[in-house]
Amino acid sequence: MNSHQPLYLVVPATLLDARLATERIVALCDRFDTEDRADYATAVMEWLVNVVKHSYGHASGAQIRICAIAGPEAIELTIEDSGQGMAPWKFDAAPSELNFDATDISKLPESGMGLVIIKSVMDSVRYHRDRGINRLTAVRRWQR
Amino acid sequence: MLMEDLSEGGCLVVSLREKRLDAVIAASFREAMVARIDQGHRNIVLDLSQVNFMDSSGLGSVVYVLKHLGHTGRLHICGVTPGVMAVLKLTRMDRVLKTFDSRQAAIAA
Repeated sequence: MNSHQPLYLVVPATLLDARLATERIVALCDRFDTEDRADYATAVMEWLVNVVKHSYGHASGAQIRICAIAGPEAIELTIEDSGQGMAPWKFDAAPSELNFDATDISKLPESGMGLVIIKSVMDSVRYHRDRGINRLTAVRRWQR
Repeated sequence: MLMEDLSEGGCLVVSLREKRLDAVIAASFREAMVARIDQGHRNIVLDLSQVNFMDSSGLGSVVYVLKHLGHTGRLHICGVTPGVMAVLKLTRMDRVLKTFDSRQAAIAA
């Protein structure tokens, strides 16, 4: 079992950098099995893309601050941005499971799945805004 | 974005030659697939065997393709890796998208 130093990143708010940052964070996750690591990677990418697309609106020069700490029991991730963010109530109201009629192709969701994935994968997740900083804190245990 | 087309068994087999189908390439993937459908291809096999990661943007583009085909076409997916299956299960889209263990099975179905 490997130990890792905390990972601190400040990355440009672009989709490509979101991808690279996700890979850096997931590199800490050698205590997950293949399936859990894939789930975790997806959830991390979802939030970073959300920040790039919606909080910053692809604004150039914007940055995302990331801290990931791989502890003995869990990995704790904090992601901060200073974009427009989202209303905390909207985050809280997002479901943790996607419900749709699988027999009606025309009504299948094409978007809005990111928060569902994050809430489904993380054991605890908290989002809040404070003095212009949007902060997501998410914890996922190595073993569920 | 690299894609490779092959006509086989009455299907257009599209192989995505990328490791990731995510927000970075989702829009261009969707446009490329819609172009193929609009050219008249109605039976499509999507080979994702080289894709080891997909996020909801990538998944959304696949769902868009399925919708664009409508009820008169079919989209079969093969080569689903654990990284792709993860997002299908998380979103329960594994109930909707038709996946197959092999390319031949996807073509024959």
